[in-house]
Amino acid sequence: MNGIFLAILGAAIATVLAGIGSAKGVGSAAQTAMGVLSEDSSMFGKMLVLTLLPGTQGLYGFIVGFLILVSSGILNGSTDVTFAQGLAYAGASLAIGFGGLFSGIAQGKAAVSGIAMTSKDEKNFSKGMVSVTLVEIYALLAFIVSLLVVIQIPNMAI
Amino acid sequence: MKTVRIVALRSDRKRLLEHLQDSALMQIKKADGSRGGFEHVDMSRHMQVFERNVTLTEQALKILDGVSPEKGGMLSSFKGRRQIDPDEIGAIAAGSGNVISVCSRIVELDKKRADNIAEQTRIATQLVQLEAWQKLDIPLNTTGTRSTAIFVGSFPEQYTEAALKEAIAAENPKLEFELEIEHAEPSLTCAVIFAPLSQKAMAEDVLRVLGFARPMGATSKIPKDKAERLREKTKRLKLENEMAEDEIASYTGKREDIKVTQDYFRIRTDKYNVINNIDHSRYVFVIEGYVPEEDCEKLRELCERVATCVVDFGEAGEDAPVKLKNNKFAEPAQNILTMYAVPSKVDIDPTPVLAFFFYFFFGMMFSDAGYGILMVLATGLAIKLFKPDKRMRNNLRLFQFCGISTTLWGLVFGSIFGDAPAALYNMFTGSNITMAQLLPWPTLDPQKQALPLMIISIAFGLIHVLVGMSCKFIMCFKQKDYAGAFFDTGLWMLMLIGFAVLAAGIALSPVLMTVGTIIAIASAVGLILTQGRGKKGIVGKFIGGLASLYDITSYISDLLSYSRLLALGLTTGVMAQVFNMLATMMGTNVLGIVFLVVIFLLGHAINIGLNALGSYVHTMRLQYVEMFSKFYEGGGKEFEPFSLNSKYIKIQED
Repeated sequence: MNGIFLAILGAAIATVLAGIGSAKGVGSAAQTAMGVLSEDSSMFGKMLVLTLLPGTQGLYGFIVGFLILVSSGILNGSTDVTFAQGLAYAGASLAIGFGGLFSGIAQGKAAVSGIAMTSKDEKNFSKGMVSVTLVEIYALLAFIVSLLVVIQIPNMAI
Repeated sequence: MKTVRIVALRSDRKRLLEHLQDSALMQIKKADGSRGGFEHVDMSRHMQVFERNVTLTEQALKILDGVSPEKGGMLSSFKGRRQIDPDEIGAIAAGSGNVISVCSRIVELDKKRADNIAEQTRIATQLVQLEAWQKLDIPLNTTGTRSTAIFVGSFPEQYTEAALKEAIAAENPKLEFELEIEHAEPSLTCAVIFAPLSQKAMAEDVLRVLGFARPMGATSKIPKDKAERLREKTKRLKLENEMAEDEIASYTGKREDIKVTQDYFRIRTDKYNVINNIDHSRYVFVIEGYVPEEDCEKLRELCERVATCVVDFGEAGEDAPVKLKNNKFAEPAQNILTMYAVPSKVDIDPTPVLAFFFYFFFGMMFSDAGYGILMVLATGLAIKLFKPDKRMRNNLRLFQFCGISTTLWGLVFGSIFGDAPAALYNMFTGSNITMAQLLPWPTLDPQKQALPLMIISIAFGLIHVLVGMSCKFIMCFKQKDYAGAFFDTGLWMLMLIGFAVLAAGIALSPVLMTVGTIIAIASAVGLILTQGRGKKGIVGKFIGGLASLYDITSYISDLLSYSRLLALGLTTGVMAQVFNMLATMMGTNVLGIVFLVVIFLLGHAINIGLNALGSYVHTMRLQYVEMFSKFYEGGGKEFEPFSLNSKYIKIQED
């Protein structure tokens, strides 16, 4: 049995779940930021930085998805994926999929608080920014796990 | 940092203060009023006037910007303050009264404009109310003639003429009346009711029961005429507003003057604030403050040149402000440092270390030769064209250095706008080569060699953390806290080094493994023996020492955090590659080339935006969380010299 469906499913899981996490995170941060900007539009730069911080999960997911498509050969039109390889791709995608989903939402919440804090006193910006990136490490760990597996799969004897 | 005390004649006060402000050499300390025989000179009334003028000009500028926006937009924020000749100050001072009256006029016009708009809204509501009475040919406040009582008003229900007659008759059959419906809509009927004067009271009772109300703001004019008048008034108000706007716009040419005047008052406020804060006697005054050690002689020369005075210096105490001083390479990173905290007296200035690692890590994360060269060119051009102020110039320089590092790392990773050279080559020749084949030097492809690169990232992290700990070591040593230096910091450094050697040994040779293990165990034993030294009793000491080993988890998580160097580097490369792939998708026909150019530019612009931001933020985090937590105390005060704290102008040095 061919594993191509499973490999594509893996790419989809990585991109979609992590994308949902980032979309939710950036969405809630952007809402708050616009509230602040309606009062003081001079803070646009700082607000933009804080709003974009939960956006990396989606990128990580997209990269894992893309690498799955590259390393399975689907992007070059090959259908040469075994069932076991397909399963492995799907499995590898779960890490960044779920890691990105939940860390994106959590980072969005942190970003909202960071925005509120910065709006009170602009000097708090760097502290807020650093605190928000603390969440990111978990998305990063998930990404690395997915990544290391995905690039090894073509070399595996399965 | 030195303390300085200047005693000078009051007659030289203006001259001396002006020169001190221009030169920005010293920070002035507020006198505590304890000096006998000296008194405080109150300048707050003058300052209030100046501050009011600053606010007024700010308002005027804002109004002016609203009516006729300034050209230049985004790029103007890079622009430095305009240089003016010292002699120009006199002219500005002379013209300030005129400018202030222009500003008052602008603010007055704007207020009138706002009032007019409010009035127009009020009229609009009135017009809506009058709408229902358009057919009525008597004034709304008519109450009757000699023999008839007339009621003009509304009921809170919808009636036809017959229905209303019926309702009134049902209330009181004895009432004789006549009525006319003017307007009816759901839950509102406007009507006029006529009744004999003799039955006025009776009619009032009936109408009250039905919820009759006379119209609000009834006038003695016929509704149609009234509406006509209101419409005319609206037209007049609109015209007035247009004229006000035209007049405001006519002051556009004064914008520069207003800005300069605003700065003039800002500078004077600062100067008077200083006068407010220093001690005066009948003939002399005393200024106290701080001056950086290297500027002492300059300050003395300046003071003695412009005033009859005595200047003496002393050693600064614990609470002296800190002035960071760095070479051209490190200076741009000072902003990053002060964003976190200003170093305290015990800290060593970490800017050089910070600068090096900032450039290094940023480059590794952004890692693209194309983007790096763009950064270097763009920042260089901005510095050349706009001649920005020091702070902005330093920020631009920061990114210039980051750009250089980005370029170098891009070459190492074989990434120039992603794989653009290879992708374009393949597109036009139909061959299938990779960047590694195209570039004459050996490259490290993060996609294929992710694991080795992750190890390298963590190794850089280890060095970064060790450098941070060395700073702590030096700081402890300087404060003669030898236990802190050797036991709390040194042993942990040894431990980390031991683990590093052990890890290297696993890959290279068993001998290294043994060496590493021995170092790690020895330092662990050392930690157990020393970390409980504050506790009481043998058991307490031992348990305290053992518990301290738990800190290893925080070191491990710190080191793992550096894997973001790989992750972000990979993100830039892969995103760029994806955009290149999309761009070269359509083939080599005309349409394909147009598509190529558009997608290429757009895609790489997006990639630069997203990943430059990511690299900046994450580099900062690595510095703040992983490195500064190892040694940096912060909490110092920044040296803020008495200077021209202006927004738009600066005085040319002569």
